[in-house]
Amino acid sequence: MIFMKRIYFDMKIVMVRNIFKILGSSISIFLGIFIWQFLTQNDVNFFLDFSNIPTPFHVLTSFQSVVATKKYWEDIYWSMYRIILSFSLASVVGITIGLLLGYSKIARLIIAPYVELIRPIPAIAWVPISILIWPTTEESIIFITFLGAVFPIILNCWDGVKRVPVELVKAAQSLGAGNLGVLIHVVIPYAIPNIVVGMSVGMGAAWFALLAGEMISGRYGIGYFTWESYQLIQYGNIIVGMLTIGILSSITSGLIYMIKNKFLSWAE
Amino acid sequence: MNDIGNIEIQQLSLGFKSGFDTKIIINDLSLNLKAGSFTSLIGPSGCGKSTLLNAIGGHYKPIYGSIIIDGHEVKSPSADLGIVFQQHTLFPWKTVKENVRFGPMRRGLGRVEADRLADEYIQLVGLSGFKNYYPKMLSGGMQHRVEIARALANKPAVLLMDEPFGALDAQMRASLQDSLLSIWKNTQVTIVFVTHDVNEAIHISEHIVILSRKSKSISEIIDINAIEDSSTESFMRSKKADDLRLHCIEMLSD
Repeated sequence: MIFMKRIYFDMKIVMVRNIFKILGSSISIFLGIFIWQFLTQNDVNFFLDFSNIPTPFHVLTSFQSVVATKKYWEDIYWSMYRIILSFSLASVVGITIGLLLGYSKIARLIIAPYVELIRPIPAIAWVPISILIWPTTEESIIFITFLGAVFPIILNCWDGVKRVPVELVKAAQSLGAGNLGVLIHVVIPYAIPNIVVGMSVGMGAAWFALLAGEMISGRYGIGYFTWESYQLIQYGNIIVGMLTIGILSSITSGLIYMIKNKFLSWAE
Repeated sequence: MNDIGNIEIQQLSLGFKSGFDTKIIINDLSLNLKAGSFTSLIGPSGCGKSTLLNAIGGHYKPIYGSIIIDGHEVKSPSADLGIVFQQHTLFPWKTVKENVRFGPMRRGLGRVEADRLADEYIQLVGLSGFKNYYPKMLSGGMQHRVEIARALANKPAVLLMDEPFGALDAQMRASLQDSLLSIWKNTQVTIVFVTHDVNEAIHISEHIVILSRKSKSISEIIDINAIEDSSTESFMRSKKADDLRLHCIEMLSD
């Protein structure tokens, strides 16, 4: 009985703590919304101009009407489709190149200079060239998004391979593993934590590049939606677009986090 | 008597090339180790005992001379040359069982057969209850046991051990030494054991090979079996063993 009481007591403490946390965060958010309401309602124009910024309530009504349209969901579909396609390509290409760079001297000799040359060029700088190269803007957007994601993945994967301890490789060789065995059973598993880091950095960069691509040359997509709202003076929808982008990018980051937990149970 | 695991080292020279210079570590060393023997390599630090062991395991190419095991020259690492390293080298992403069955599966054994072998060797080192643990969840001594099991599961011709118990406390070390002796008696594998601990060398091995830093070769080979006239326990407490210890320590400080 005393034991049960003890557990009950502990649970109560945890619950009180959680309630306190939630309450604290909620107050902070409400305060922020209140400040937003104040700035926009009174059209404050002191260095920053809030006179054209929609009020929170306006955003809510915009959201309600936008959610009912088919176009909003199509834009979300297009952006997600582009992110998933280009990110998957970037992961496959990035991991392959990263492994090659870390594992093969010849590959390092040939590929490393290109990586070093192209890496400092932000993906957005590729927009004009990419529009010229690819047959349609759709492919050019996917290409730019791919470029954004691929370099963080290459570099982190390469770094992970470089860190593989010599002793582990020697141990595998002494157990009869050849080059392929060492790659599959030692190098790749060892590099996985780094690869996951590269993928989450790459995911952020992919969204960045995707939105730039969609705003500049897109016809669908949530970035296009946000930019179009600005051009059509639907200011409420700009905020709706921004919030949607935030939610979508959290979802994709969450997916990577789930992959990480699945593969890295041994490290805990 | 088995006759697998006979090691012949002929006029071996080992070293590293740096630029135009070659730094010689082992110079013109010849040594024969019979199949099924248990030999300790001792020597002052920097004398190349670890390098020699790695060369027998195929991890260093000789500058001159050769290492021949059962008639075949060692050219690269292989499953026949089991090594237990000083550092922990278990694969952290594999469980104990997955680590131990790694070698057998590389040989092309099926999962079932490899599992059976793994179980057998995990039991041999007394860790049957920990098959599904990840290395991180085991103590240092237990990890060493798994490393020994993993090397043995390949049924290697020789088992090369590079100061495997160096980082352990005295009690754990004594218990692992006893396990190793009984494993050796059961499996008849040829063991080459690098250590800096004279007492350990006298306790567990049949022969002690003392390397010298000056000559970069062998300074003395001691046949303990010839000296040891009683059970290991009483021998370790005898005057003869004391003399041997002193002698070895003198040799090490030269």
